[in-house]
Amino acid sequence: MELSKLLKNPDYRKILRFFHENPNSIDTARGVATWTNIDKKKVTLILKKLSDHKLLIAHNVSSTTGYSYTRNKKNMKSIEGLLKG
Amino acid sequence: MLDKHEEKIYENELFKKLSTNVSLREYESIISKQFGKPIWWMLHRVDKNLPITLDDIEQRCEIVSGSYKDEASCLIDLSEAFHRAKKTKKLEYFKCPAGLYGFCYPVVQGRKIYGYIAMCHAGQEIPRVFIDMFTKFIDALVREMQKELQLSKLYETIRPRAIALSTVHTIHRLLTSTLDLDELLPRMARLSLQIVRAHRCSIKLVDKSQRTLLPKVTVDLRKKSVKLKKVKVGMYAPGKAFKNGKVILGKNYMAIPLVDKDVIGVITLYDKVDDSPFNHFDQEIMSTLSEQAVIAINNALLYKDQERMTEGTIKSLAALLDIQAPGRLTPRAPFIKIVLETGKRIRMSQDELKSLEYAYLLHDVGKAILPASVLSKSEKLTGKEYKLIREHPLRGAKIIKPLKALRICAPMILHQRERFDGKGYPDKLKGRKIPLGARIISVVSAFEAMIAKGTYRARKTVDSASEEIKKNSGSQFDPKVVEAFVKVINRRHIRSMLKKEEHGA
Repeated sequence: MELSKLLKNPDYRKILRFFHENPNSIDTARGVATWTNIDKKKVTLILKKLSDHKLLIAHNVSSTTGYSYTRNKKNMKSIEGLLKG
Repeated sequence: MLDKHEEKIYENELFKKLSTNVSLREYESIISKQFGKPIWWMLHRVDKNLPITLDDIEQRCEIVSGSYKDEASCLIDLSEAFHRAKKTKKLEYFKCPAGLYGFCYPVVQGRKIYGYIAMCHAGQEIPRVFIDMFTKFIDALVREMQKELQLSKLYETIRPRAIALSTVHTIHRLLTSTLDLDELLPRMARLSLQIVRAHRCSIKLVDKSQRTLLPKVTVDLRKKSVKLKKVKVGMYAPGKAFKNGKVILGKNYMAIPLVDKDVIGVITLYDKVDDSPFNHFDQEIMSTLSEQAVIAINNALLYKDQERMTEGTIKSLAALLDIQAPGRLTPRAPFIKIVLETGKRIRMSQDELKSLEYAYLLHDVGKAILPASVLSKSEKLTGKEYKLIREHPLRGAKIIKPLKALRICAPMILHQRERFDGKGYPDKLKGRKIPLGARIISVVSAFEAMIAKGTYRARKTVDSASEEIKKNSGSQFDPKVVEAFVKVINRRHIRSMLKKEEHGA
């Protein structure tokens, strides 16, 4: 799915905005759910999808997964444009 | 305490809220009904001069509009009321040239006047009771807004710190989830790169002599491979950070010492993605991460030490068994290799492979209590002797169980004689109910017995032993294990090792 289509969903938008505004952050689904006020189950699915699209980086270990913002400049620019739009 | 810039923002926010406040609008509407369409002014960003122009008056006041003299006189009356209010910090009345009434009320918090709410164009003097109600209402409103703004400011201050704290907590979880130093250090480097948004990270640990920092991992996200460089203590940023035990901050690098009781190493980061210099926030968060890192590194080193100790204990135990019955109770090196490679083919984890190796080394430990005559007997065993032999997995598991580090090996030893079809012993387990390690040991130990030990029957060649194993695949042995095993023993280096075993080397 294209980035612009993903960002039509307000929850995707909210989560991506969180990482865009806090690019130093590495957080779990539970943490992101707290910061964005979205249901944890939904957040888990969205984070997985965003990392599949390489918009987030997933740091997997046996007990948990931490997510952080993409380092790809092109992706970051696209996200910024779409979040402003 | 707010600085000047913050005060301006606060003032703007306060007046934005006042101008859009529904209750205030309603209150104004009630007064308007009583006193004939007065004009309301909200004045802020007021320093010396009143921010009202003649144009403003012309646009809003129908009565004085058009007469420059009246407009100017009106502006003077309003200004004077504003100056009086500024001085007294209280509500001040005035009367305009058209004979209409008004007042100017300063919005005060402590000693600071944030602005003014003024009213003019009232058909009659506003009675005291209305004024009292108005000032009390405004004061209560301002206090409420002040609290709201303070809360919002507090939220804005706390939120980034809470997010950073949450990041630290996540990093802690990510780092402490492994005890393998080879896995931990690259993970640490990648996480460091992520939180400070840098291109390159190098982690160096000090050698035993405390003179040199040995490179353990360097990750450069711009390059596919990087050279690992040693650094002498005291030299360059990492060496200096190590020597002084303090963060060394440069324009495009930051070296953070890993401090336990002593300094054990240094994490160095280079080149931020946005080309900005490393800042105070980077230093803060990396210092916190380094504290987590030291704990994780020490845990991994301790675990490695403990592993070495366990390995030493097992090898000593195996050596003792070998003294008791040379070549009968401990496996030969090629077969340990076959066990491990079979396990790898079945995708066992590193930890599982380690346990499998230990279990295979000690799988015949239960035979140590058998009489030497039974162990070395080449003729057919008697019923009583056979019964004793059948008890060895149970005895082996019992011997191993009290050793905490080997507890995980006990089920592999206990069930090594189970058959895939459920006709084995001691528990007649069937198929996948038999632990995977036990299924592997079952295949390799039978193979080893046929080639190298030849205790109960004549020795076989590698090929005939392999055929025998394949023949029993699905009945005695797990077909998947047999498939992996056959692939392993057909590899060239394993074959050449087995050739030597065949010839009794």
